[in-house]
Amino acid sequence: MIGGQRVADEPEADPAGNASAGSGIELRNLSLAYGRYLALSGVCGKFAAASLTAVVGPNGAGKSSLLDVLAGIRRPTGGEVICPARARRRLAFLPQQAAIDCDYPVTVFEFVALGLWRAVGAMRRPTPEDMQAVDEAVAAVGLRSQASRRIEGLSVGQMQRVLFARLIVQDAEVILLDEPFAAVDERTTAELLALVAAWHRTGRTVVAVMHDLAQVRAHFPDTLVLARAPIAWGDTASVLTEANLARAREAGQA
Amino acid sequence: MIPHLHAWLIAPFEAFGFMRMALVACLALSLANGPLGTLLTLRRMSLDGDVLSHAVMPGAALGFLYAGHSLAAHSVATYSVAAMSAGGLASGIAVACLAGLLARGRTRRGDQGLVAFYLVALSAGVLLVSLAGSNVDVMRVLFGTVLAIDVPSLLQIAAVASLALLLLAAFYRTLAVDSFDPVFLEVARGRSFVRGMFVILVLLDLVVSFQAFGTLLAVGPMLLPAAAARCWTRTAGGMMVLATAFGMAACYAGLLVSYHANLPSGPAIVLSAGLLYGFSLLAAALKDRLDGLVGGNAA
Repeated sequence: MIGGQRVADEPEADPAGNASAGSGIELRNLSLAYGRYLALSGVCGKFAAASLTAVVGPNGAGKSSLLDVLAGIRRPTGGEVICPARARRRLAFLPQQAAIDCDYPVTVFEFVALGLWRAVGAMRRPTPEDMQAVDEAVAAVGLRSQASRRIEGLSVGQMQRVLFARLIVQDAEVILLDEPFAAVDERTTAELLALVAAWHRTGRTVVAVMHDLAQVRAHFPDTLVLARAPIAWGDTASVLTEANLARAREAGQA
Repeated sequence: MIPHLHAWLIAPFEAFGFMRMALVACLALSLANGPLGTLLTLRRMSLDGDVLSHAVMPGAALGFLYAGHSLAAHSVATYSVAAMSAGGLASGIAVACLAGLLARGRTRRGDQGLVAFYLVALSAGVLLVSLAGSNVDVMRVLFGTVLAIDVPSLLQIAAVASLALLLLAAFYRTLAVDSFDPVFLEVARGRSFVRGMFVILVLLDLVVSFQAFGTLLAVGPMLLPAAAARCWTRTAGGMMVLATAFGMAACYAGLLVSYHANLPSGPAIVLSAGLLYGFSLLAAALKDRLDGLVGGNAA
């Protein structure tokens, strides 16, 4: 909270202005250890407000760990994350799909409606406008005809559409995506990438762990090459080079 | 015909106070067991429920030692029920915390740890009870005595069932989300206490079930009706209602069977619930078959 205040007071270089003021994420000497294994070490840097950044790196480079720490579901072993949007609960996180139990009996509509949590919480009833927003989000990901279906029978791609619809309803300032297009078909990926671009246009800060470098080059202005610590971080065209990727692989094996 | 039915289905409860007490206690337990059992099943925590019911054992046994008398001696029965409940709750919480720590540890062998607890708790409990009591006492601790339920234990059961229903109603949405998407819940509202609350409610339910069904059977009236309900409906609310109804039916049928056939009542009730489950499984399989046939014709 105190950290959040500090950053919110700093002037933000933010061309989009509006919702994103103070929605950057600053990392100060961040480290994370699982027992003796160091997943992240000495990570410093900043995701600027309203930036769209891909996080790439070899397996075990700490990409998912970084997102967990940014989302606040893992406490860093050292250092700190300064994210005012998180303190205001305006952060949304899409973990890898395995984190969700799809056998639980809820419908697509109910699942998407969870995005209203900030407004309705554990007890309150959603307003008709809230329900309207949920309806629109379900339609926006092309699942209108499936709204009353239970999530258990959905394909990976359909489930990912459901999760993106929930992100739309959440209307967060910072959106974290962990491998959002893994095992998702091409058409769905294209439609969901369009949603990510729309979020970027509306001034939200988006950080996504990505595997497909072609997608990164085509759709992500910024890139962080990670191997426990940042190897390179900045403009995608200058950062995503064979030399940097090779350095990341080496660092990953060390 | 009517007089016969009356003699079979109602007379036992008219004639004997202990039958009435047992029935009311079991019906009250079913009210809590339905929703709690449904959530245990949906959260894939059936094994945890089983382990918790055994975790109650050593503490209850210590309470029994402390009370120092045979459960059969009626004058001290209420005293020892209170001591055993307190002990059972304490050891249950201790084991739940230990198991939680274990599951969070680096090994990630949660199930192994749970089974280890289960065996150690059961053995320790039996050992402790046999130190002070007889084989009869051991049997009672293991399988319960539905027909010996007195007013204080009935009140205990009613209080826990009411508490469980109220808390589940208040935190239902949070509990449901925690069941299928705990990460979302944590990001949306911070670390949640509902999981701990749920485990404690299950534990309380098991502690008050302990006198009726014993440590080995207490989890039966919780899990079997819920498992049966899952065969008939796929909504969580429907499962809770149906599990409660199944649980009540099993209690009524089990008590009647145990009365007429002179069988131990706890096992009779759990077996009735088991029969309901078996029947539900068959019905569900049959329905799948029929749906397949109909679908095949339509295609």
